[in-house]
Amino acid sequence: MSAATNGTALRKVAYYKGCLASLSAKELDTSTRALAPKVGLELDELESVTCCGAGDIHEAEPDYYLHLNARILAYGEATGSDTLMTVCNVCTLNLRQANHMLQNDEALLARVNANLEAVGVPPYSGAIEVKHLLWLIAEGEGYELLKQAAHKGLKGLRVAPFYGCQILRPSKLLGFEDPDRPWSLEAIIEACGGEVVDYPAKIKCCGFPIIQAREETALRELMQPIAQARDAGADAMVTPCPLCHLSLDAWQSKLNASERRENPRHEDFHMPILHLSQLIGVAAGLEASELKFKRHVVSVKPVLEKLEA
Amino acid sequence: MPSEPTAAAASTNGALSPTMDVAVKIWRVDPETGERALKTYEVEAPEWVTLLDVLDIIKDRVDGTLAYRKSCRMMICGSCGMRMDGAAVLACKTRMADIVAAGHVPVISPMGNLPIVKDLVVDMGPFWSKMRAMKPWLQPGYEEPPEGKEYHVSQERMNVIHKEALCINCGCCVSECNSMESDPDFLGPAALAKGMRFVGDARDGADVERLEEYNSEHGIWDCTRCYFCNERCPKGVDPRDAIAKLGAESIKHGIDRDMGAKHAKWFVKSAETTGWLRETELVPKTQGVVSSIMQIKFAMGLARRGKVPPPFPPHVAADVKEARALRDIVQQQGREGALGHVQGERALSYIEHHTTAGNRHAPEITPGEEPVNRDVGERP
Ligand code: SF4
Ligand code: SF4
Ligand code: FES
Repeated sequence: MSAATNGTALRKVAYYKGCLASLSAKELDTSTRALAPKVGLELDELESVTCCGAGDIHEAEPDYYLHLNARILAYGEATGSDTLMTVCNVCTLNLRQANHMLQNDEALLARVNANLEAVGVPPYSGAIEVKHLLWLIAEGEGYELLKQAAHKGLKGLRVAPFYGCQILRPSKLLGFEDPDRPWSLEAIIEACGGEVVDYPAKIKCCGFPIIQAREETALRELMQPIAQARDAGADAMVTPCPLCHLSLDAWQSKLNASERRENPRHEDFHMPILHLSQLIGVAAGLEASELKFKRHVVSVKPVLEKLEA
Repeated sequence: MPSEPTAAAASTNGALSPTMDVAVKIWRVDPETGERALKTYEVEAPEWVTLLDVLDIIKDRVDGTLAYRKSCRMMICGSCGMRMDGAAVLACKTRMADIVAAGHVPVISPMGNLPIVKDLVVDMGPFWSKMRAMKPWLQPGYEEPPEGKEYHVSQERMNVIHKEALCINCGCCVSECNSMESDPDFLGPAALAKGMRFVGDARDGADVERLEEYNSEHGIWDCTRCYFCNERCPKGVDPRDAIAKLGAESIKHGIDRDMGAKHAKWFVKSAETTGWLRETELVPKTQGVVSSIMQIKFAMGLARRGKVPPPFPPHVAADVKEARALRDIVQQQGREGALGHVQGERALSYIEHHTTAGNRHAPEITPGEEPVNRDVGERP
């Protein structure tokens, strides 16, 4: 059996990586895989699962959403693990919400199970818990291992945590920490040797859900965290959500363009955005091929240079 | 600062009850000069007091010019919405004992996203005009019961609007709505929840017309799913879920011209065909071919970074036929639209939010503005 940094046996978790980590955010998947054993986790990746629906199927066809997520939970349970690990805020909320519905209503669970069985999916008993990677390493054993794994440190890099929405709210479905005063990302940044940069918009929306349908409104939302983090002197931002990452990283150029149109004196943002697994990965000395910073739209070079200096 | 409950004071019912020293900071706003000041108040109060009781004591004994709204004192009238440490609450629902015991001095300020009139009083005008725009009254056109008979509505139909009917129009959900902050014309959580309350009402004859209206530019699809509204609502209405119900009802009725609706439908299509999101095709499917061509420079920038995965060959989940077959079954079972949302105990019940009294820091808050920096990293 493989072992973690301190020699203890690895904890096996079912790993649901979701759409983004399979597609445009492959760097999230590679860095998570490389990091996992160092923080005591053995990932059992779910192969035959689908998208969680990203809140969109929940909105468009709620009963289908419930069944798709029940199917993911069922395959997670079938691995024999008690934990289904996610690396995305939106997956976390969608799966936890479906799980809560099924765990608290026997009749509903029975109907959904009958449908799952009809198409050849193993039935779901309601026993698995959905947890984001962040929660597994922000406290307890995972946190202790993280402190050891992050041996290279971050040399006081000034990091602004960005939580996004659906890992905090609604807290009755998430509930890991106080949604108005979260602490988990801060704890991790400090454990890695970074300096925490605080700012009010860290718990607000990145605009991603409406970035296509209502670009103007979304960009105004996106502006707040990036501008506040820069004003507070951040070298980089870190997020536990690949959708927030996409918004903060890939849409930053659009934000700059739209700000320039409104204010000719706008100073362009060049804020590097790191996935949670990448930030820890840097401190833990992961390879460039695992961190894959080349896939980012906003260059991460200034961060790497600062760490090498 | 918290004190041992040793002193005894006359309580309102004439009996003696233990007291505590309560301190709060209140943002005072002078409407004439526009001046703002954060003032600290300390009063002795019975242990059972709510924030509203504390304000009453301050107004009685310390400063009669303090302005705030109240009426019922029992979470019914919706008058006393305000922010405590940046989060909208009903003052009459918020007990002070735990906060005092934690040694915390909370900052009280007016609700966000609404103009400030004086101190803790906001102008509810914009809130009411959005409510009015929802036409919150029954419109005729439904099937009349036979002469002398009652109109029966099934429990299942009532379930669809059970939570929405609990709204007391307090505005707490609007206070931190992220979309409304960026688009002040957004109809917002309270109004849209009211809209769902009528769309879902079996007696209302105008559900399709309503859905058409709520699908406007500042309607359903303007919501960014930040879930602040669900977090803040003191009555368990869960306005974001009401908006999801409106989305599902719109799509059920074929009202899908909005880019938001097209976006949502593309996820269904992706899950059904490949199992995973067909990310690259999402933009043209949402915005149409013409506007996505205008985005081409932006898209090329992303493509260079591998952010635009090639659509062919599609990334297909193993056993995707199961997901496809599930959709067929689900469609046959016909729990379309809002009905699909009100399944399971969760959908109907009011679940208290997780709170962590004792883990409170003291952010300084300017009325109507962002809460400023909070202390960082203290573990509960
Ligand atoms: S979920 Fe939507 S309606 Fe609710 S607060 Fe956020 S943006 Fe506003
Ligand atoms: S939905 Fe809730 S928070 Fe919003 S106005 Fe109604 S009762 Fe108040
Ligand atoms: S005073 Fe009526 S709800 Fe608080």
